[in-house]
Amino acid sequence: VIVKEGAGESVTGPMAKRGIKRFMKKKIPLSFTVNGEEVELYISPNRTLLEVLREELELTGTKEGCGEGVCGSCTVLCDGVPVRSCLTLAMEVDRHDITTVEGLGEQGEPDPLQQSFIDHGAVQCRQGTAEEKSGTGRGRNSPGDKWKYMQVHRLHKDC
Amino acid sequence: VIIPEFEYVAPGDLQEALDCLASHGEEAVVLAGGTDLLVRLKQRLLKPRFVVSLKNLRGLEGIHKKDGVIVLGAMTPLVEVLESETVGKYLPALKQAVEKIGAPSIQHFRGTIGGNLCLDTRCLFYNQSQFWRSGRTPCHKDSGKTCYAEENSDRCRSANQSDGACALMALGCDVVLASTGGQRVLPVGEFFTGKGESPFSIEPGELVVELRVPEPGEGAGSSFQKITQRSAIDFALVSAAVSLRVQGGRFGGVRISVGGAGAAPLFLKEASATLVGKPIDDNRSIDATSGLARKHASAFMVENLGSSLEYRQKMVHVLVRRGIKEAVAMATGCCG
Repeated sequence: VIVKEGAGESVTGPMAKRGIKRFMKKKIPLSFTVNGEEVELYISPNRTLLEVLREELELTGTKEGCGEGVCGSCTVLCDGVPVRSCLTLAMEVDRHDITTVEGLGEQGEPDPLQQSFIDHGAVQCRQGTAEEKSGTGRGRNSPGDKWKYMQVHRLHKDC
Repeated sequence: VIIPEFEYVAPGDLQEALDCLASHGEEAVVLAGGTDLLVRLKQRLLKPRFVVSLKNLRGLEGIHKKDGVIVLGAMTPLVEVLESETVGKYLPALKQAVEKIGAPSIQHFRGTIGGNLCLDTRCLFYNQSQFWRSGRTPCHKDSGKTCYAEENSDRCRSANQSDGACALMALGCDVVLASTGGQRVLPVGEFFTGKGESPFSIEPGELVVELRVPEPGEGAGSSFQKITQRSAIDFALVSAAVSLRVQGGRFGGVRISVGGAGAAPLFLKEASATLVGKPIDDNRSIDATSGLARKHASAFMVENLGSSLEYRQKMVHVLVRRGIKEAVAMATGCCG
């Protein structure tokens, strides 16, 4: 369990009497699972999942591309379904299960999709390989990190 | 881009959420799926003090049919609308519209149908980064007094580009709004104000909780058509939805709506009425109706989306005609 301490604490007030959780301090607690590992940390509520993954947890395999949900570079799996981590507030995944590209495959034992990428030399290329095979090659026009995007995509579709 | 600071509130049930909205009113924004809200926060189009997350409001999810009305919870994820047999069978236009929102495999898991209905109006000169907008005086939508889309316009001319809203307008749904004072039901036509600055008649403290779509009767068909620059993850340059019934080889109960034109999805009453009673294979009437739709929708359109005005106006004609033909094919069972 990774625990990152912060200065946050919940504050009681008229809202709390009615059972509404409200946090006055800047940082609030967040706990979720990343690649099978439980994580507890304190964050500002305005951080996106992408920022928390990259900056707090140092899982830099997830990239920021456009930052507005178009390119798909930041895709991660949340409870097994792909979401844009740049358009997801970290607080929204509280108690959920996140898989990033670091969670795919083992050293020397790549995920089937990673192997397929190696076989086809698909570095940043969107043609061919997995995406077309999975029959969902529609509207993909990301300039950047297609590599991870498709892994995550395929993981959802086929595995 | 870092999101501005706010206080995060996650109410546990609907009552708490309404209490929270009642006490924070205009300072709060509601976070459903967040696929559009977060972009707006990043662009500093919104600077709320409170963000009220609806993630715990499971009661607002789900689709069921009751007494001839199809009820969609506002927090129903788009993917659930797509997979719903009820929607697929009775509301093909809604299914087609939802299919075309954002990216098929990604945002559908976070985006919600209520969130899509409440998609704020958009404009090429408003939905830009803070830096981009800082170079010019604020427009009407930005609480200023200028309009960049149309010279000397005294009001905001932004367009409603929501696909779900356009389809729901043609299908004629009711929107249920809840507040601490109780519920009220608005026909979808009254849910939209038509004003670019404040496009919805949602009072502070109110929350969209349910959409009620009447079940179309026998021989009904509907269709949604959309034109975008990219095939996915794009807002409609212009869109059209048609819902109709075929009775004895003739049109009945026609509702045509056009999105991406005015600040609300336009329900074209007169154009719809001209088609009623005409035989379904009367191509001349279909063409005339589409022409009228183009004429009426053109009055609301300005040069404010990513394509030329003339093209978008022409496409109204094309999309309405395609929509009518596809809805007829569905109603008569030609394409299952």
